[in-house]
Amino acid sequence: MSENSSKKAIFEREFSIVATLVVGAGALLLSFPLFFEEAVGEIDWITIPMVAFPILASIILLALASQQPRGMKENMAFPVKAASLGFSLFILAISSALFFGWLGSIDWTTLKINEYNMNHEYTWINSLGISWHVGLDGLSFPMLWLTTLIIPITMITTWEENSGWYHHPLLLLMEGALIGVFVALDLFMFYVFWELTLIPMFFLILKWGGKDRRYAAQKFFLYTFTASVIMLLGIVTLYFLQDPSQYLIDRGVLTGRTFSMIDMTNNAQMAANDGSVWLGESMQNALFLMLMLGFLVKLPAVPFHTWLPDAHVQAPTSGSMVLAGVMLKMGAYGMFRLPLTLFPHALAEYQYLLLAIGMISLVYGSIVCLGQTNLKRMVAYSSVSHMGIVILGIASMQPLGFAGAIFMMFAHGIISPMLFSVCGSFKHHYHTLEIGSTRGLAKASPFLGGYMMFSWMASLGLPLLAGFVAEITVLVAVWMTFGWWVLLPALVLVITAGYYLWSMQRTIFEGSGDVVLPEGMAAEDARDLSPWENIGNLLMALLIVLFGVLPWIIWDMMSAYANAHFYFNMGGLLNLVAGGA
Amino acid sequence: MEASELAILIPVLPILAMPVILFLGQLFNGNAKWKGFWKEGGTIATAVMAIVFLLSLWLIVGHVSAFSEGNGDDVVTDVGNWVSYQLFTEHGDMKVQELGFGMQLDHVSVMLLFVASFLCLLICIFSLGYMNTDEVNENRNHRFYGEFVLFCAGMFGMVLADNFLWLFIFWEIMGLCSYLLIGFYYERPSASYAAKKAFLTTRVGDIFLFVGLLIMHAEFGSWDFAVVFNAANIGAADAGLIKAMLLLMFIGAVGKSAQFPLHVWLPDAMEGPTPVSALIHAATMVNAGLYLVARMFPFFAAPAMAGELGDVALLIAMIGGITAFMAAAIAFVQKDIKKVLAYSTMSQLAYIFTGLGAALWFVNNGHDELAFFAFGASMFHLFNHAMAKGMLFMASGSVIHEMHHAHHHLEQSEDGHDEDDDHHFDAQDMDNMGGLASRMPITAIAMAAGSASIIGIPLIGGFWSKEGIVGSAWKAVMYDGGGLFIIPAILVLLTAGMTGFYMSRMWFMTFAGKPKTEVAANVEETTPFIPIPLVTLTFMTLGGILFAGLNFAGWLGENSTHLSLSHAPSHLWHEITHAFLALGSDGQMDPFILIITWTTILLSMVIGPFYAMSLYGGKLAKGQKAHWSIAWIITLSGRIHSTYKFDNSIWAESGLSTALRNRLYFDQWYDSLMLKIVVPFSYAAAWFDRRIIDGVIKGIETGSQEASRNIRSLTTGSARDYIMMAALGTLALFLLIWGVA
Repeated sequence: MSENSSKKAIFEREFSIVATLVVGAGALLLSFPLFFEEAVGEIDWITIPMVAFPILASIILLALASQQPRGMKENMAFPVKAASLGFSLFILAISSALFFGWLGSIDWTTLKINEYNMNHEYTWINSLGISWHVGLDGLSFPMLWLTTLIIPITMITTWEENSGWYHHPLLLLMEGALIGVFVALDLFMFYVFWELTLIPMFFLILKWGGKDRRYAAQKFFLYTFTASVIMLLGIVTLYFLQDPSQYLIDRGVLTGRTFSMIDMTNNAQMAANDGSVWLGESMQNALFLMLMLGFLVKLPAVPFHTWLPDAHVQAPTSGSMVLAGVMLKMGAYGMFRLPLTLFPHALAEYQYLLLAIGMISLVYGSIVCLGQTNLKRMVAYSSVSHMGIVILGIASMQPLGFAGAIFMMFAHGIISPMLFSVCGSFKHHYHTLEIGSTRGLAKASPFLGGYMMFSWMASLGLPLLAGFVAEITVLVAVWMTFGWWVLLPALVLVITAGYYLWSMQRTIFEGSGDVVLPEGMAAEDARDLSPWENIGNLLMALLIVLFGVLPWIIWDMMSAYANAHFYFNMGGLLNLVAGGA
Repeated sequence: MEASELAILIPVLPILAMPVILFLGQLFNGNAKWKGFWKEGGTIATAVMAIVFLLSLWLIVGHVSAFSEGNGDDVVTDVGNWVSYQLFTEHGDMKVQELGFGMQLDHVSVMLLFVASFLCLLICIFSLGYMNTDEVNENRNHRFYGEFVLFCAGMFGMVLADNFLWLFIFWEIMGLCSYLLIGFYYERPSASYAAKKAFLTTRVGDIFLFVGLLIMHAEFGSWDFAVVFNAANIGAADAGLIKAMLLLMFIGAVGKSAQFPLHVWLPDAMEGPTPVSALIHAATMVNAGLYLVARMFPFFAAPAMAGELGDVALLIAMIGGITAFMAAAIAFVQKDIKKVLAYSTMSQLAYIFTGLGAALWFVNNGHDELAFFAFGASMFHLFNHAMAKGMLFMASGSVIHEMHHAHHHLEQSEDGHDEDDDHHFDAQDMDNMGGLASRMPITAIAMAAGSASIIGIPLIGGFWSKEGIVGSAWKAVMYDGGGLFIIPAILVLLTAGMTGFYMSRMWFMTFAGKPKTEVAANVEETTPFIPIPLVTLTFMTLGGILFAGLNFAGWLGENSTHLSLSHAPSHLWHEITHAFLALGSDGQMDPFILIITWTTILLSMVIGPFYAMSLYGGKLAKGQKAHWSIAWIITLSGRIHSTYKFDNSIWAESGLSTALRNRLYFDQWYDSLMLKIVVPFSYAAAWFDRRIIDGVIKGIETGSQEASRNIRSLTTGSARDYIMMAALGTLALFLLIWGVA
């Protein structure tokens, strides 16, 4: 009795600590506008609240919980989870406020190329020209919003599935790192956050993964890390290729160069406007390939994709959701932000290479999907296939194709977490992922069946769901640039429908009125989704419908970004291409 | 308030009703009141459908009266912008594009809107009786009604859309709903298989349509009807690409309307509940393909395309002719009452394709008046067929439902247990029926009227339009360059007789003769709600003469074709002389068409039914009396049956008959294509991915491990080796510096 009450006391104390933290953070955030009322638009809403805060909060939560005596840690699970969810909801509130323009007058659709909202720069490592530089435009904001949407939904969906007190804080850490990648306007900072995202994901897979989790975690880490190192090499080369400026040297920058993306973009643009090729043709091509390699592995594109199915199959639901939903988008985001912006000439040079990679990812990925026997593996390959569409949109070199590719990133970012959450629930409730080991589950688990059907349909590009807008816009662009090649992606639409419908037929349908459960499972163990899973899936379904029916909510800024990109960065180049053709 | 302001509600109301019904169903399943008054969502669905029907009527009346007042413009409403973007043209400049949703009404869409909203309402009422009285459906009717209203919304949206993108979007929504509804009994492997097949087969067509739309966008920079149908814009486009676009769009229509060679899904779609069959086959989905082809008319009519697209039109007619003939032949040997109707649907839709093909050919070759006539006849046939087939499916549903109940009843009274073993008894097999005319008078009369319309018995609905289609196909043969139309023309002519046979066969096998099983002798027509749509549609079908008299066909052709034709106002007598005496608008008799007309009538009305009577006719059992309106047919059939005996065993046992029973092996071919080529190929690809691509990565992995193990062997742990290495290293360094210096 006394032990119980002392447990309770400890629990209450811990809870009060966390609650204080939450309330304090909330008060701090809310007090911002009070103190700076006249200059609310001037406040840096990114650095502290969206990047530093989640990272620090997760570290504090982890530290707090880990210092508890043995046996007491489990008591911390709930308050820590609640705090993590609360923090991520705070961040969601800020990013949504940014979108709706409640935090200062922000217009996302009138930005020119290399113009950013919330543009703030602080000196970091002055001697090397490294600064902490954040900003958002029509490309990065959708990704930021996506991150802030998906992380709390992931936390809700996997509320009960993954025990342990450091699961949710890791997701929070992940959120901070991902946001860091999307807001960074300094290459050094970009790279730091780029690699930081690996750490929480590595531990998520290692701790809560499946049977082969050690192998999968290592493969995931090493594979993407290797590619990132090549990318780093490209970044450093890029850094040293710039002319040292006396102005910077006078201000204590030893090398006279900076990692600032804004400066580099300016230089590239000025060169393009003069009709010359920035850094020279061969150097541009080499850098383009180096950077692209890093991003293509992350995307992933065939043939650099094999880490993805392994990582997904072994990863826990939360890991898969974040990995597919946001982490893959880092690759596509990086492509837009660096190689496509800086090296338009090389893009024109390698247009057909990208076309080939995109087509192969798309077609090959979908055919491999058809041959999978593991539900999660199938969904993982479908991600490869859909990311092929992003590459096609880029290869089309049309503003519409770019905007469609960005929309695909966003749409896939809300659809694929739902796919993986359904797979995760499947695994959670039926302890298997083999397609064909069950029949007629829709009867035992109507909600699981319903959400599976919905997300499968969303992924195969059903109109009025988010994926369709992306597909049709990209394919319009592909037709305009490559003509009849568009038949291949169109064929993939059939194959995609094929593997999704076939997998449903062999899992949730059939059974002649009886539910066929996997071997060794008792009939009374067949349960439907838990309330948490239900809420999470419902939220994702609503988002998919919302952005499918009213795509312009987010489309307009993407389209504006793509247009600006073409007007100011590629206009001269495209004249050149069109004239040559 | 204008009707067009509320028109957006026609697709939106049902879409909003769907989640409401599904949600309430999840909440209240098992509740007595939800089952009783609310019919598990059926009441909501019916109310929504009624509102939508009234709105449609309002809209239609407004359109018709505006048109008759000389204000002939299409009603167009712009609802809003969806996405906007910019495009690079070949010349390096940017164009701003906007994709909006708007609504447009012309005669064809008005007709289809009426067909869809009217039939959807009736089918919904029918479902209240059919679905809610069957225990199998208990606690899941809400799913039926939810998917049902979404399906209807898809059809309304497709008909109203003013651009091809939204047409495609709603087209796909219908595809989804047909998947969901065919697979309503998802636990049955056959239903699950059929649903998948329907979705995939139509999807194959859909992607061609999709690519066609991409071409359209590239050529016109827009999907709006107003832009795309503009003759000047068509003139500016690349003729070759326009042709490719039309062909691709036609493949989409072929998939949706179940034409050869993408027809395999439709017979299997019978796995869905009967109201779904009525919905898919009559009211909505299959008409979508026809609607799409009808929408292609302006391309063929454009002066820039004159004479260019004749072969596309011929292909459309050809596919129509082949499908009509093939489906009718397969219908000869079907035992399942719904399968007969399914093949009949394919065959009749193929008629419409033939008619449209002729219309498109005429207009492309400058024979505007003939085009106008063929187009109107095709659209009128669509209307007649939808009404008749909707009724036939509901009537067959009524038969199946009552057979089922009678069987259930017998089982209970005999064995004393209510175990539901349907495996031994097929309530859809016509071999188990017979003599139902006296037991189910309303159904029997309805089915007789529907069959008569499909066969084309003079003066009833389908007659007027079918004559027009057959006549148009033959007329095309006579014109220069239309010689190949002889193939579809002969095929549709033959099919007319075959239709007479198989429709009569179905009716006589079901309703005439003596009951072939005990179940059939105990059938009672008692289910509520079912007679309402049957009676309504019987009058609708028999009233075909009124529509014909109002020159409905001519009206349909009038503004959809955008032809400015001055034709004399028509009246019934004119129509009759036109149909029976082949009097042209100039009052001249065309002897050739006269022969064709009377051949068709002879084949379809006399020869076909005659054979069916002699083989399947028969008097009712003693003491059973049919309604007077159909009693004489049964008496006649009994007389013919006993007088003329035909031995058809040569045919019945021939290889042809086996092939027909196996649906000409199309399903086997497609299945083996999937199972023997596509699936093994995908497994091979999966193997390739795991072993080769990932194998290389694993090779690098093990290779580097190996290498590191080899390097590790250098660290021997012995101080002597390290000193040695340090010395060698220092030497090397010195050599290097020396060399450089």
